[in-house]
Amino acid sequence: MSDAVIEIRNLSKIYRDFWGRKKVQAVKSLSLDVMKGEVFGLLGPNGSGKTTTMKMLLGLLFPTSGEMKILGKPASDVSKNEKIGYLPEESYLYRFLNADETLDFYGRLFNMTAAERNRRADELIEMVGLGKARRRQLKEYSKGMTRRIGLAQALINDPDLVLLDEPTSGLDPIGTREMKDLIVQLKAQGKTVVMCSHQLADVQDVCDRIAVLFQGELKVLGRVDELLEMRNEMQIRTSALSDEAVADIRKVLEKHNIKDAEFSRPRADLEQLFLRTVRESGERPGRRFSTEEVAASGRKS
Amino acid sequence: MDFDIRPYDFALATRSWLMLAGALTVICLALALVLSVARNGARGIGIFTSGLKSYLDDLVSISPRRILALTNLTLKEAIRRKALLVFVAFAVLLMFAGWFLTDANERPELQVSVHVTFLLTAISWLILPAVIFLSVWALPEDIRIRSLHTVVTKPARRLEIVLGRMTGLGIVAITMLVVMGVVGLGWLYRAIPSTSRSALECRVPLFGELFFITADGQPADKGLNVGDVWAYRSHIAGNTRARAVWVFPGFNESALTTNEQGEKDLLLECRFEAFRTIKGSEASIKKGIEAQYTISHNPREEAFGSLSQSESLRPLADALRDGQFRNAADRMKELAQRMRTAPDELRPQDYAGLQFGLTIAGALLKEMKNDSFGDVPDAFIAASTAGQDLIIQLRRKAETQSREAVSHEEFAATLDRVAAGLAENADGLLEGMPRTEVPLPHFHVSEYHDGEESINVTAVPQTLRFVADYETLARFLARIVDEWNAQGKLLDGSSLKPGLAETLASEAKISQLNAERFVEVLQEQLTAGTVQVADNQLKVANGKTWFIFLDELIRGEKLVSQDPQGWMIEKDLMKDMAPNGYLRVEVACVNDQMYLGMARPDLFIRKANQSFAVGYSKALINISLMLLLIIVLGVTVSCIVKGPVALFFTLTFFLVGQFFHEFMLRKLSGVEQGMGTFESAVLLAQHRNPQVGMDVSETAQAVVKGADKGLEGVLWAFSNIVPDFTIFNRASAYVENRFDVPLMECVIPAIVVFFGFLLPCILISGALLKFRELESK
Repeated sequence: MSDAVIEIRNLSKIYRDFWGRKKVQAVKSLSLDVMKGEVFGLLGPNGSGKTTTMKMLLGLLFPTSGEMKILGKPASDVSKNEKIGYLPEESYLYRFLNADETLDFYGRLFNMTAAERNRRADELIEMVGLGKARRRQLKEYSKGMTRRIGLAQALINDPDLVLLDEPTSGLDPIGTREMKDLIVQLKAQGKTVVMCSHQLADVQDVCDRIAVLFQGELKVLGRVDELLEMRNEMQIRTSALSDEAVADIRKVLEKHNIKDAEFSRPRADLEQLFLRTVRESGERPGRRFSTEEVAASGRKS
Repeated sequence: MDFDIRPYDFALATRSWLMLAGALTVICLALALVLSVARNGARGIGIFTSGLKSYLDDLVSISPRRILALTNLTLKEAIRRKALLVFVAFAVLLMFAGWFLTDANERPELQVSVHVTFLLTAISWLILPAVIFLSVWALPEDIRIRSLHTVVTKPARRLEIVLGRMTGLGIVAITMLVVMGVVGLGWLYRAIPSTSRSALECRVPLFGELFFITADGQPADKGLNVGDVWAYRSHIAGNTRARAVWVFPGFNESALTTNEQGEKDLLLECRFEAFRTIKGSEASIKKGIEAQYTISHNPREEAFGSLSQSESLRPLADALRDGQFRNAADRMKELAQRMRTAPDELRPQDYAGLQFGLTIAGALLKEMKNDSFGDVPDAFIAASTAGQDLIIQLRRKAETQSREAVSHEEFAATLDRVAAGLAENADGLLEGMPRTEVPLPHFHVSEYHDGEESINVTAVPQTLRFVADYETLARFLARIVDEWNAQGKLLDGSSLKPGLAETLASEAKISQLNAERFVEVLQEQLTAGTVQVADNQLKVANGKTWFIFLDELIRGEKLVSQDPQGWMIEKDLMKDMAPNGYLRVEVACVNDQMYLGMARPDLFIRKANQSFAVGYSKALINISLMLLLIIVLGVTVSCIVKGPVALFFTLTFFLVGQFFHEFMLRKLSGVEQGMGTFESAVLLAQHRNPQVGMDVSETAQAVVKGADKGLEGVLWAFSNIVPDFTIFNRASAYVENRFDVPLMECVIPAIVVFFGFLLPCILISGALLKFRELESK
């Protein structure tokens, strides 16, 4: 991580009506950098300006003021798109095409040769798991499948910078996990990923750094682990303790004047539970799991 | 519709296009700069220049592969969204059309016309809505459902998106057209009854220029008006010297057709209007009015005819036209003398007419390059120049109201020189300017235009056989004597060859009786000594040419035809009647108290027919260009507005261009009478008519008229921006009326108009889409 892939300086965007009157200021003097090889998250509630910022980066919207550079080029320069992959919030694709045709079409837009297009299409369709549905028109796809083919088209050019708008939106937990794995994988390949999402857990899982926007203003910017670290608390994690051991530890803590210590068994999150259930259902079809079994398997995992 | 359209003026069209395109570019750039500065302040100039640079970069980095990808996408979209269902509608139409169209009782050409009209109309109007909707909805729909966002975030230039869309939709439209065209052609051959199928042809006309000769023998632009409100046709009176004269420039072998016997014919097709002043018998009404063609070659008329425009000069002009050059020389001298002694007797228009006539005569005589004319051509040119100088002096005098006398001496002197030249070279001029007139058999013209007789086709054989007049006969016989003298075919020693009459009859194609008479006259002249044998050749004793000698004999009635048919001789249509590539056809009305009405396209030479499929294909090409232009306009408009608005604009462009373009031009050029919009509104409100005008103060009048002027400017701009869609329909009208579609006058102009709009539309639409925020809220 050294040089900036995205440089944003004093970026503002005002939406105006037909007569040029100000309707809303979506982004206010935003300045931030995204460094090469990091996974960067843009967070914020609805209307905070994160999608507007992303669309300005892509040239879909023009900034009212401020400057942006992506991969060293101005945002209005179309040639920057050679090295960018974009997954829109909803996969805005041509629904009358099938998966093969879709990837072939977008491949052509990158001036790729036929052989190259075919090779990339095969790889990506395999990667997103649409091998069996590659000949079906997109209008017959489920939302999850549409997101997958959307992701495939975003990666058709093997981009250096991937912009993902709500990447896990519409995906089931397995798809979500796969998407997150993929983001990590992209990072491992040295690519830069910028994502904006409402799914805070997802962002927390994969992002190196985040920016939190509210009403168009940058409120927080920093590394996720630093931002989430609770400096005035301590957590010890170990295997299950006996009641005596707990009492002894409590005494030690009281000796150090710590009286509000809590002792409890940790809980797996629902995502982990879901993934485990699906995985084990695949291994043992037709079986229903009791609460004890689930808890036991949680201990194992 | 007029099928005699004038050649398209490409130079003028290119000039207008360049001016308009230049003005449009400047306006667009200025507007963009102003908007950019208005929105961004001083920073706007930088934004404008970087935007312009970026657009120019886009222009040079267009990728055919990306355009092809978008073209392919458009094709798939059209197919998968079932745009091709239009074929089903077409098939249904063709299946049932036969029930309503076929009427075996109709004339073959009407049946063909009805079927072709139906087919071309069905093709145009079925594809038209499909392409309009596809073109105006494609991009706005892409923007609405945001599929375009995924495309523009790839390296695709927005100009490429526009080009890809236009190309794809164009291919869809052309595919529809070709399929319907081919199926339709097959349907035509099946649907038209076999008895009428021979009329499925494309006539190839060669139109000429028309002028009239009045009853007193003078040339005129128009003929008589018989009282029709519609003054399209001019009339000539029957049984007078009045003629309608068509001159066909560029007449050559290609204008002839080959008949069933393998001989070459000239086909003259006419559609004149008959006008009666007496009813006549029923038989006469059915038969129609008699008319006659005369094919003539008359260089004297061409050279000296224009002198007769001025009444004072007519005796001179008549003498020159009749070949009486000595007489003409006397008249010219008289004119010169009159100019010296009483110059004011001649009116300014006489001087102008004389100068114009001298210029034409000088130029044509010079062009003939005949040594026997002596210095006559130069004398005419010198007189024309002197006449021009005199006219300038007279005009200046009139303008300055000067009392100073203008000398006519120089002009008079040049006229004297012309007179001397005419007198000196009279024989040479007469010999070098032959007049040949070949009258053709009479034909009938019906006053009913829907009758079969209204269209009249006359086949004129390339070898014309006709009764020669004096001059033509003298020239014909003189040429034979000259040629046979040179070949030694006339004499046997010092006397005429025995059997000469038989040889003459067989080789010169004259009747045996007349050949014998000619030989007899030659023998008499030989005996009398007016003709001698010298150097083994028969020569005129007094040194005159054979033409002059024989002309005198004929006029002296010493060579009267012995054949009751008269002196029938042969002439070649190409060689003798149109040696300079001009064919002159005169039309006369034969019946007394009857009139024939005619306009320029009423008579034309019919060249060899073109295959129907060729003419039909040209009509389809024009329809395809119209569809492509609509696509281009639709896509351009849809780059900036939503689908319904784009539909409204495109339909407006099409309807105005189709039905009101000509009206706009007529209004702007002042041909279409009427007040301006605001003035008309005031007049309506005040219940006043245009003659009395508005009842308002002068200031208010100036305001109203100024507002109308402004609106007129808008109309002017609109007339230049909206394409003239009628240019694309002309080809169909030709085929529907069984004419071939002229390439240079009909197809090429349509191609030029299409490309004239294509280039600006591509540039404008590319810019509109590029500088548009696709996500604007």
